[in-house]
Order: sequence, then structure tokens, then C-alpha cells
Amino acid sequence: MGRLGFYFNQDNCIGCRTCQIACKDRNNLMPGELFRKVQTFETGAYPASGLYHYSGACNHCADAKCVKGCPTGAMYYAADGTVQHDDDKCIGCQYCSWNCPYGAPQFLEEYGIVKKCDSCKELRDGGDNPVCVDACPMRVLEFGDLDKLIEKHVAEKSTNNLSILPNSSITRPSLLIKPRQCAQDKYYFEKKEV
Amino acid sequence: MASLVKKVTEKKLSRRNFLKITAASTAGLALTGCGSLLVPTGEKYDTSAVNGQGKWITAGCNYDCGNRCLNKVLMVDGVAVRQKTDDTHPDSPEYPQQRGCVRGRAQRNQVFGADKLKYPMKRKHYTTGGGQKELRGIDEWERISWDEALTIVATELKNAKSKYGNRSILFPYFYPDPAKAIANALHHFGGYVGSWGTGSFGSWALPVMFTTGYEWWTSSVNDRFDFLNSETVVMFGLNPAWSSPGNGFYYYLQVKEAGAKFIHIDPFYNDSAAALGAEWMPIRVGTDTTLLLAIAYVLITEDDPVTNPLIDWDFLKKYTVGFDSTMMPEGADPKNNFKDYVLGTYDGQPKDPKWAFEICGLEPGKIRQLAYEIRKDKKVSMLSGYANGRISDSDALPQAFMAVGSMTGHYGKPGHNCGASPHRININCGPFLYTVGSDEKPMYGAALFGGAKGLSFPINTKINATDLWDAVLDGKANAVENPHGIIGSGPNIMQNFDIHMIFNFMGNALETSIKANKGIEAFRKVDFVVSCASYPSGTAMYSDIILPVTTFWENVGFISELGTRDAIIACSRVVDPLYEAKPCQWIAIELMKKLGMDPNELFPFSDEQGYFNSLKNTKVLEPNGEYVPLVTITAEDIAQWGVKGLPQQGKIGLQELLEKGVYQLDLKKYRYIAYEAFIKDPVANPRMTTSKKIEIHSATYAALVSELGITKKDPLPVYVPGAEGYEASFSDWKSKVKGEYPYQMFSIHYMGRAHTNFANNTWLQEAWEAPVYMSSADAQKESIKDGDTVLIQTKYGKILRRANVTERLMPGVMAIAHGSWMDLDKQTGIDKGGNENILCGTPVSGQGLSAYNSMLVKVEKWTGESLIPDSKKPKRVLA
Repeated sequence: MGRLGFYFNQDNCIGCRTCQIACKDRNNLMPGELFRKVQTFETGAYPASGLYHYSGACNHCADAKCVKGCPTGAMYYAADGTVQHDDDKCIGCQYCSWNCPYGAPQFLEEYGIVKKCDSCKELRDGGDNPVCVDACPMRVLEFGDLDKLIEKHVAEKSTNNLSILPNSSITRPSLLIKPRQCAQDKYYFEKKEV
Repeated sequence: MASLVKKVTEKKLSRRNFLKITAASTAGLALTGCGSLLVPTGEKYDTSAVNGQGKWITAGCNYDCGNRCLNKVLMVDGVAVRQKTDDTHPDSPEYPQQRGCVRGRAQRNQVFGADKLKYPMKRKHYTTGGGQKELRGIDEWERISWDEALTIVATELKNAKSKYGNRSILFPYFYPDPAKAIANALHHFGGYVGSWGTGSFGSWALPVMFTTGYEWWTSSVNDRFDFLNSETVVMFGLNPAWSSPGNGFYYYLQVKEAGAKFIHIDPFYNDSAAALGAEWMPIRVGTDTTLLLAIAYVLITEDDPVTNPLIDWDFLKKYTVGFDSTMMPEGADPKNNFKDYVLGTYDGQPKDPKWAFEICGLEPGKIRQLAYEIRKDKKVSMLSGYANGRISDSDALPQAFMAVGSMTGHYGKPGHNCGASPHRININCGPFLYTVGSDEKPMYGAALFGGAKGLSFPINTKINATDLWDAVLDGKANAVENPHGIIGSGPNIMQNFDIHMIFNFMGNALETSIKANKGIEAFRKVDFVVSCASYPSGTAMYSDIILPVTTFWENVGFISELGTRDAIIACSRVVDPLYEAKPCQWIAIELMKKLGMDPNELFPFSDEQGYFNSLKNTKVLEPNGEYVPLVTITAEDIAQWGVKGLPQQGKIGLQELLEKGVYQLDLKKYRYIAYEAFIKDPVANPRMTTSKKIEIHSATYAALVSELGITKKDPLPVYVPGAEGYEASFSDWKSKVKGEYPYQMFSIHYMGRAHTNFANNTWLQEAWEAPVYMSSADAQKESIKDGDTVLIQTKYGKILRRANVTERLMPGVMAIAHGSWMDLDKQTGIDKGGNENILCGTPVSGQGLSAYNSMLVKVEKWTGESLIPDSKKPKRVLA
């Protein structure tokens, strides 16, 4: 079995943020805290305009910088290869947040610790998908054995590199994206107000 | 609990408090079994979610969004800990799960929000007859008892009736479902003055269907499987990714995967266009008719039946009237035909691409391309939204659309479509495969609205929705006398009004009606304003008394009407009523008692019995065309519910239906092609028009619109530049000198909301910030940067919003997120909440159009304090 990770059909994503809300709901997150976050980007110039979204969470990287940088061992690899977090060991130093090039670990001020997407591990252990996957009305998210996902989507020009993302050689993310064509444009700007 | 809620704004609301509030339904409940309340996040409930420790309950999600989906809530020890959507069967495009959208999934934050209305409230300076009425909207609030509140409402109702008669009571809504109980009680009390209008339909409303031969609503186009046969899909003013939520846009993605080409005609390159890889042909707001006429011009002038067949002449001859002088309906002037109008034979103005380009902004070459894209020998779907009909004087639009669709013959065949398909219509039309059963309660206007025992309205007077506040302020307004809500018929004549009371029930008239500033004046003029509401919207805030109404989650349950045609959603009560909120029927009954009426005359049984009746009476369509009962009911079910009824045999057990929450039919067994019968045999299956054919020339349509007395309509789809349209943005059209308000603005049905519902939801506010969209070219001209706070002004009002500076809008056009709650600055009167109806004041026109998308604005960078994001604003916690 290969590593476990997310597949994201960006080409069909409408940026509705249902995944973000389902994640927020499952994790009981407060304003400002997002374990999965949808970002919106524009490319080109009127009328040759481009629009795409990135639904991003923890990529459960093979070379997870959060695990490497954690001084207490709170960030660790679970037996299934996903990156998990032990709340009791966390001292809230946020080295993981600084080390993660995807901005996945979130500092929860109220508790003085960091948490992040755990790929809904307990749900998966119970036979379910992560909530974001089952929430998506456009069916653009999948989770599973990355090798199998690559095989399933072999006809697509899937990648784990987009202009907006750090080069995948840095952390080897468990991530597969079917990009919208304009997401490969070098020039883009993020829309903060959507 | 009250003090807890009082002292926190949602910004400060901790996870722990949120959980406490979510448990409020069982006040005093020891929070056992939740593990430590100090768990930072919700993953501890994963176990309950998968192993059956918790209970999943189907929750109602019944907003006017464009669909009905399956939403479930996990209850663990009386606490609503999480939501999920449909997982009752494996998911496939053919038989999809009924997945909920971002709005439905955020309901937990809504229902248990700190600002949910908890107690009956009274405006501090209210006294009988109004008190300091100018303080409405800015007064403080005092908590009162239900008895006090209902006594006040009953006293004011009796005063209004005895002093001024029932015509002094304004119920500013079409006859709407959520208001059924209270509207019935008010009719029983002698009635009220209501409203009529075209609402969201714009010029795509009923008149055009009755008179020109359109298929309307969910019969408009073919079913979703047939759309896979389309080669080219041309979308006018459509954004199903946002306004056909749930599975709506998922069906479009199937059409894309099947290889169709999409063309997007709209001022905004929206998410639908982007996800479909559509070719964008930008046009200005409200100019679609000019584009359609120019397409017709290209088709007429370049068609050659032998060498270049663009027009389906057989179709025109067999199925339509009015195209040219040889095809005129009886009694019509042969000169007044469509072809000669388009060519400019008699008016000297050819409606050619050059003419259209000056108005709509699409280059003549692109217009010509478009005409060829939709030519007769291709499988084409011409689809439109309603947005382009929410335009002043746009009555010609649907008719012009139909004329072009007729010229190219895109009716009644697989892969061909021509019609409006926004909202729940989507690309999945055909008869509903079920009928929602009656609750068997007596109901006013039942013949119109499907109730069991029809009673006639005591007052049929309805003011056009655009002029509601004028009626209150000026004492006169145009009104019709008919029992319909969304269509005017007969003369719309000037009537005198003496409105003394505004009764609001669950609607949000103040923030969703044009001329909101006048609305505030009107609210402050009358003797009494009451709002029955679940959340403190603007309408509630400008009232004297607020009666807290339970949400879908707190009510007994219902079968969702107006959902998708192949899935029946049946929801249940998730939590008991929170705090002192009460269901509609309870309020109606108690009010009737205070008014000295017998509630049994309208509400002879409980909400539970009503839901049971509705379930019992719900029928599903068998593939053989027979309707059979949906639910199997046993004697045990009846005993368990404590209701009256008889056992019956259906397709699914009552218990099973309510546990699953959904009964879904196999749509493959029920196929639908719009206009199929008419195309096969137009004599045996005529259109319901005077000529029995599709009417490109329609004297009946012209008469129906003209009779209202607002605008004179030509029998042909003649382009009329509307008030506050592109042409009106110039002070000198010929030399193209812009006027004081140079930008066109339209409002977008917004993903983060369903109209004004959810505008207060923190999760959604964080995800969807409700900006004003403006093109980068215009922003540069006005020295505005992305994220700047901007002041937007019309003749009618001023608002502040943060700017989304984008390459996706046509220069000269701005767009505003629909549905923001107003938040007026006390000193300046500027709306910091960004409600678009503060800006919109366009007069009523044509068939009674509410021209929400006809706005001319000016914009500048705001030099005062910048707006903070809505998600960081303190909540309106009244008590």
C-alpha cells in the first residue's frame, strides 16, 4: 500500500467552500481557524480572464516539515502514514506552522496548542471518508491510496505542482490535482474578497 | 443561559460556550457523555458518528435557494455536534446522492447562533399606537412575555380594524408558504392588503407563458440525461454553480464531460463559466434583447436554404406565428412582423450587429459567430437565467429569446432546448415524480395553493411590490384586485391607501424590496410594526414587537416542496424549540384567541397530525403514470405518533423514510423532452395561446401587459431601453458623455446566502465576504484597490462595501452580492451593511417588473473608517 492522500479535481471545482464548512463543522472550529481552506485565484486580463480555486488542507507529506520541526514529538506519522497530532504533547510553539509551506497547522489561541487536518482518521478507521470528500456537491475530492488514485486518474494531466504551491520536492505532499488549465499560469493573484 | 449569550458576541464565543448553546434545547442538561468539554475540536465525536452511539436526524433545509437537499444532524446526549449529507446509497451521476450545499452545511452555526431570537421583544419606547416611531431601528429592546407580546399585537390589530378597517393592515408578501398559518389567521380576521409582483422571475414570469406559448418553470427544458446529447450550450445570464445548489451544477459537469461546448453570455465571467470551460462573450446588463435581435438579423440576412441553411423554415411555418408577413396571426397588421422589424424595413433601423454592439458591447464578429453557433443543424441548448429579466422594461426579452429559438428550431427534440432554466428548474425538467400531500388544514386561497379546504380571501387588493412603501407614505399606489401573488391581471389602477400597520411573518420585506430607504420611512410612519422572525434581520429590527419563531430544526418536520423532481426529502425535529421560540401554528392559535376567534376553525389539529397527514397523502409517480401512496403506515406507527389515521400500503415504511430522510426515484425510468407532444402533433397538442402556436407576434401578450396600464407593449419583441439601463448612464448618448451615475450595477444571487437568509452566519461570512465586484479598469479609473472600502451611490441611497477588483467583469458594470443585512450609520444614513435595495429604486414597468438589476451608480474610495469583514462584526444579540 502506498501513502494515503487527497485527490482534487480542480477543473470541476466551483469554489463553493462546502468542504471548508463541513471541515469547520466536524472540527468545531472558531472564526479564523480553518483546517481546510478554499482559496480563489484569478489569471489573465479582461476579457481573457481565468478563475480557479484551491481546496487545501494538510497534505500528509512524505517529508513532513511539521514532523521534522516539532520539538516534542507531537506531530508524528501514524501507522497508515498520515501525519497526526498528539494534543497532549503539544506545547504550542508553532514551529510546525512556520515549517509547513502549505500553512496547514493552525494555532488555536484558546487552548495554546496547534491542530490541523487529521484526514478524519477515526472516521476513516470506521469505514467512512473524510467529511470534506463526502460533502463535495461537485464530487471533486477523493481520499485514498495515492498510487491507486494516480492509476485511476492516469488519463488526466494530474500533478502535485501548481504555480500557487511550493515545489512538491520540498515536502513530497500526498496530493494529486487535476488542474484547471489557467492554474498553470505563472502570473496569478489571490482574491481575498470572494 | 441568557447571561451567557448576552455577554458574548460570536467573536468571543468559545468552543465550550458554543457547545453549551447547542445544548440549549435541553436546558439544565448535564453535559455528560461529551467527554471533556475542553476537547479543542470535534474529532471526539467521530466514534459517535460511525458506531451508532449518536443519532442522525434529518434536518429541514427549506430556503429559497434553488434546491432541496439532504442534511442530517448528529445528536449526542441532546447536543447537536455535527452535520452530514446524503450517504443513504452509493453515489453515481445516474443516481446521485442529494448532497447539500455550503449554506445547508452551515446551519448548525445558524440555528445555534448567539443572535437567534430567543424571547418576545418590545422596542423600549413603543407605546400603543407607536410611541416614538422615529426610534424604530435604533431603539433599545426589552424582553417581554408571550402574553404581553400577543396582547399588544392583538390590541393593535383590533385598533387598526375598528378605526381604519382591514385595508389599513399591510402584509407585504406574496402568499408565501412559511407564513401560511399566520396569513390564514389574518384572513380569518378580515384580511389585509398584500403585494404582487414578478419577484425573481422578472419578465420570465407567468404572462409570457400564458400568451406566447412558453413552457414555464420545471417544464422549460429537457431532463438531465437528455442534456448529454447537446453539442452546444449557450447560457444567457446564468450561474447555476451558485443558484442551482446541491446537485444542480453537478449535472452541468456531466454535460461538460460528455463533450459539449459552452458559451457564456453575461457581464460577469462567473464560476459556472469557468468550471465549464465556457467561451465568454461579455455583454452589458439588460441588453440581451439587442443581442438576440442582432443574432436574428444575421440568421435572416445570411441564411440560404440550399447553400447556407441557418434557419429552420419548416419549424417557423408549422409551429409559430408572426415571423414574416406570410405567417401573421389573424387580424394582425402584416407589416408588423418580426422579420421586417429586425431588418428595419419600416422603422429605418436595422437591428444589425453594429446596432447591437453599440448597446450590448459584444463585437459584431462575435455576434455573427454566435448566430452560426446556434444554427438549425446543430444540437443546441439555448438557456437563460431570470436575472436578465429583472430589468426595467424587459418584457420583450423572453419573446425575443423564443423567436431566435424558433428560427433555429431548438424545440421538442433530444439535444435541443430553448428556455429559462435557473434556480431549481436547472437542466433537469419534467413532471415532478411525486406530489407533496396536503396537511388537510383549512386554508385561504387553497384552490390556488393546494390546500384542502379552500376559503376565499376577504380582501384581494395587492400593491405592486415595487410600490409598497409609496402606498404607505403617499397614501396612494397602483394596485390590482386579484387573488394571485406573482401575476398581475386586469387593470393596475391607482387606489387610495391608509396603511396603519405592517405585519411581517418570516419574510424580510424591508431588505428584499426595492426602495429600502423609503421602506424605513414607511416602517417609521405607521402606528405599529410586528415581525415574526427567527433572526434579527432589518425587518425585525425596525419593528415594535418581535415574536421569535422556531426554525426548521425545531419544528415537527415536513416534506420539502419545490425540491429536485426525483427525490423526496422528509425531515424531522432535531431539537425542541430553543428558549421561548414558538412554531407558526402556535403563534397563530394564540393570536386568534386574543382576537376572540376560534382557532379550531383553522387549526383543528396539532402540527404532528398535520405532518402525518401530509406524509400519508404524499404520492409518487409510477413509471406507468399512476400515482400511488409514498408511505406504508402501520397501526403501530399511528399509535406511536398519537394521531388519527388508517394504516396504508406504500413504497417505504414511515419509520424508514424518516430515518433515511429521503426517498429517491430512478429518473432513468421517467424521461422528459420539453415541447415533445407539440412538435409531434401541434394540432392535437396545441400551445395555450390564441393562435395555438408559438407566438413571435402576440397580441395577447401585448394586451395583458398593456392592460395593467404601466407600459404599452408591442405585440412583437421590440427592444425598449429601460429606466436606469446602459443608455440612461449617459447624459449625452450620441456623443457618449456619461452622466452623474456612470456605472451599471446588478445584484448577484450569492453563494453564501439564500436571499437574506444566512447573511448573519459567521461560517458563511468568513467563507463568502459579500463584496462589491468591479472591473480592474474601472477600479483604476477610480483609484480603488482590491479590498478597499468603497462608497456606492445612486439617486436613492448610499452603501459601503469592500471592493473585489476583478478581471472577470465587463468594464462599466459592477455587481453586488445580494442579501446583505442593512446597518445604517446613525449620523450619515449610509448603509455599512451593504444592502443592495438601499441603492435600487427603479420604478415599476411592463408586466409589473421589479427591476432589481437596473441600477445606475457612482463609486468612490471611502475616506472614512474602513469596513471590517462582516464575520468580525459583533452579532446583534437582543437578549
